[in-house]
Amino acid sequence: MKQDRRKPFIFPSMGVIAAFILLVIIFSAISKEFLTISTVAGILTIAAELGTVTLAVALLMISGEFDLSVGAVYAWAGVLLARLLSSGLNSFLSLLIVVLFALIIGLINGSVTTKVKIPSFITTLGMMMALRGFLLIFTAGFPVSYKGQSFLIYLLNGKLASDFRVSSLWFLLFLLVFSFLLNRTRHGNWSLATGGSPEVARALGVKTARVKMINFLLTALFAAIAGCFSFGRFKMAYPTLGTGLELEAIASAVLGGCYLAGGYGTIVGAFFGALVISSLRVGLVLIGAPAYWYQAFIGVILVLGMIVNKEIMKRVLQA
Amino acid sequence: MQSEPLLKVVDVRKSFGKVEALKGVSFEVYPGEVVALLGDNGAGKSTLIKILMGIHQKDGGKIFFKGKEINFLSPSEARAMGIEAVPQGGAVVPFLDIARNFFLGREPEKKWGPFRFLDIKKMDSEAAEAVRGIGVRVRSPRDKVNVLSGGERQAVSIARVLHFKSSLVLLDEPTLNLSVKETDKLLASVKELKKKGVAVIFVTHNVYHVYTIADKFIILDRGEMIGFYKKGEVDAETIIDTIRTGSRKTGMVRRDDE
Repeated sequence: MKQDRRKPFIFPSMGVIAAFILLVIIFSAISKEFLTISTVAGILTIAAELGTVTLAVALLMISGEFDLSVGAVYAWAGVLLARLLSSGLNSFLSLLIVVLFALIIGLINGSVTTKVKIPSFITTLGMMMALRGFLLIFTAGFPVSYKGQSFLIYLLNGKLASDFRVSSLWFLLFLLVFSFLLNRTRHGNWSLATGGSPEVARALGVKTARVKMINFLLTALFAAIAGCFSFGRFKMAYPTLGTGLELEAIASAVLGGCYLAGGYGTIVGAFFGALVISSLRVGLVLIGAPAYWYQAFIGVILVLGMIVNKEIMKRVLQA
Repeated sequence: MQSEPLLKVVDVRKSFGKVEALKGVSFEVYPGEVVALLGDNGAGKSTLIKILMGIHQKDGGKIFFKGKEINFLSPSEARAMGIEAVPQGGAVVPFLDIARNFFLGREPEKKWGPFRFLDIKKMDSEAAEAVRGIGVRVRSPRDKVNVLSGGERQAVSIARVLHFKSSLVLLDEPTLNLSVKETDKLLASVKELKKKGVAVIFVTHNVYHVYTIADKFIILDRGEMIGFYKKGEVDAETIIDTIRTGSRKTGMVRRDDE
């Protein structure tokens, strides 16, 4: 009986890919503009910003931790880069400072979580609030824009042919890098083991605290990179940028099949999770739905997606 | 008996804050010996095992392994010297596949410029061979460990010991949650390890599970060694009685603080 139910095409990220295809079919049936080059480019542009964060958040979740401060780091990175560039500092030195800033945040999140053993949900919630507060103080609530020209901006998120942007290429590169990291390296295997069964992992010599620390650093770093993408797109950043991004990233990862408690997940799934949410955002605008629908739809899709994922995982794990 | 002990534990002490978990424990383990470590909850069995595993560090006393004084700071150090731990519930992570579990903590890597990545081919073939060699029927080394029964999961741990040629195995409550048949299988594997000259420290509070295979019985109570027996010196009931009453019956016992 069990043999009959086992079908060869069952794989973990099947649910989220199906959801993505379904969304594409529905939106293109309603709006003729959905399946055009410029819409696809638009979705990829938004997905590059959400998805770059999601890939790292997925790896962190797989190792059993959360990061609620990614949205705040994202905003800080954009604002900081805008300020530094406006001050006339060398572009790449400015980027380096933003990267260092992100790594320090990741280091604090990681240390408080792994050394002081405060749950990361709390650590990063505190970090989020603190960073948001300081950012409002730093900017006095005003947007920061950059009037000059910089090759860095092109490199981050310049325009390519027909509405495509450079950030989409980065996003695809990051997809490969994170897939490789999770599936083909020791760090990936250790991340899965750390989230799946920390006690066993530790007994077998896995340095679980170090694994988590690396993932906190990566998460903060990629949140900052995504923030720089956003700045590159508008040549402007404002202190409330990326509000709610932390939850969208978790939603994308979970839609893609990541376990909330850690120990399981795929990078490809997280990638498609981010694509689903980005298509939803663009698609709803195209069909003329009021902006509020977006949140409602994400909520419904998240819960439906989880129900489908649960069934798929039951079969995957018993196969 | 061989002249040279594999493991020599001398007056090992450990405290957690004000709680003295180990108040000076000494014993020796020879190659191919099965040592039963018995005691009620809170006796200090786990603390002792975790010190040998490198998870905790001792506060006092000395430990010699293969003639060298050691103080493992991490489980990877202990594993590198040939001490393999099988924690409670088996040394496997549920959502990882069999090959990834088998090599967890010491995955074979290939180098490519500055990058290192997993040698998946080697992991799959060697893990499948080792696990099948010990009699577990696996379809594929890529199957998740979830498809295995409790006994088969223990078998993966045992296969790992044989593959990496460890000389000392620490089994922490290995019969917990195992069926009667699976327990028999596990005990058979322990005998197999013994035959290959591997020493086993078997932590349990079920005397009957170890009674037939153990060469030595060490009984702990509140961090002290209250009983030490060799095979044949004692019957199972006496051991149970010692554990229950927490006092000496026979054998060499030191009790200097009340």
